[in-house]
Amino acid sequence: MSALTVRQWNMLLLAVLVAGSLFIGFTRATPQQSAGAATSASTAAAPTMAADPAPLPNHPAPEFTLTALDGSSVALSELEGQVVLVNVWATWCPPCRAEMPAIQAAYEQHREEGFVVLAVNAGEDSATVAEFMHAYNLTFPALLDPQNRVSAAYAVNVMPSSFFIDRQGYVRSVYRGPLSRSVLDGVVTQLLAEDG
Amino acid sequence: VYPLVQIGPLNLSSSGIMLLLGLFTAQWVLARVARNRGGKELEKQADTCFFAWLLGAVVGARLWYGLLNWDIYGAAPGLFLALQIGGLAWPGALLGGTLAAYLLMRRRGYPLLPLADSAALALPVGQAIASVGLLLSGEAFGVPTTLPWGVELFGATRHPTQLYYALAALLTLAVLVWLARRQPAAGTLAAAYLALSGLALLLVEALRADSLLLPGGIRAAQVFGLALLLLALWWARRGTAQRGG
Repeated sequence: MSALTVRQWNMLLLAVLVAGSLFIGFTRATPQQSAGAATSASTAAAPTMAADPAPLPNHPAPEFTLTALDGSSVALSELEGQVVLVNVWATWCPPCRAEMPAIQAAYEQHREEGFVVLAVNAGEDSATVAEFMHAYNLTFPALLDPQNRVSAAYAVNVMPSSFFIDRQGYVRSVYRGPLSRSVLDGVVTQLLAEDG
Repeated sequence: VYPLVQIGPLNLSSSGIMLLLGLFTAQWVLARVARNRGGKELEKQADTCFFAWLLGAVVGARLWYGLLNWDIYGAAPGLFLALQIGGLAWPGALLGGTLAAYLLMRRRGYPLLPLADSAALALPVGQAIASVGLLLSGEAFGVPTTLPWGVELFGATRHPTQLYYALAALLTLAVLVWLARRQPAAGTLAAAYLALSGLALLLVEALRADSLLLPGGIRAAQVFGLALLLLALWWARRGTAQRGG
């Protein structure tokens, strides 16, 4: 290493600086790429028909109807044609709370493209849930599940659990445990890119 | 993707488990290396430094991640303190950890270069293990590719960037072990580590689909990597200048 003179070191430093900066500029993320979209995807997983109730990837999502905070009734099957994230959570669960802002950001970003979030609260009362949604500025629908029916149907043994459902009503990705923002964006962008 | 592993009542994300495993291993390797290179005294100092490093790394990693996800973290600053093994970024960890360890070493009068050299031999081991964990949980995923070793993730065949990072860490380790056998001047291993891990960040990050971005789509980790590489070269140049070369 010491074979180089100071002058040669200076040249090397400059060369690395220039080449490195050019490389960074060249490989910077373009909008489509940073969204993680892949166009070949729709061919990759052609869901097969099966009437399995368990939330298995590439199987139809188990149907449920729950009451939202505003008193309206929401059925999963009514949302066919949209990409749905079913997130099972509770206000007392720290990782659930921690991932909510990222879910809200993804919701705001992709709502226009047909992305819906159903935040299925496990067993708490409407006042608790409403207060939480307000405090965290969450605008997607929170559904009340006092008898934990969805938790049972979706075999939720971990909170939070997230189920990504494609436009045709098939479960495409099951994520047990906190979602990272990049995984959330990756899955949602992917599913939105597919045809209904 | 295997994001979660159940151990009895505990549910840990696989990336979290591998991160902890990587940290434990790095700590163990650091203690062994320090002992071999500087005896019991250095081992003890290295151990103390490790905890300072860890503390600084956690703070730095969360700050780096939060500041580059400002749209979320700015609106919900409580996330900076969220107790979860996630929302962390490696460049911030390296920066914060090194700063914290440096401050401790200065304060206690520990020998900087021998400790930095020992750390250079331990860090890549931890990084390699933690990177494999990211593959298991599907984080830090790559852009789509048609190469035969692509992995299936989120409906597309993608570059296994996590494995590239693991491989880069192992290569770095191999070079450092080879260098260490030749008994170089103090600080050489640390400088080599900075150069190699900087180069790895610069190159591998280019293939990531979920990089943390600066304005204009610039990948923050690449800028950090280039800075590390330049710092290491500048360090080496200084060695030449002092010898009057």
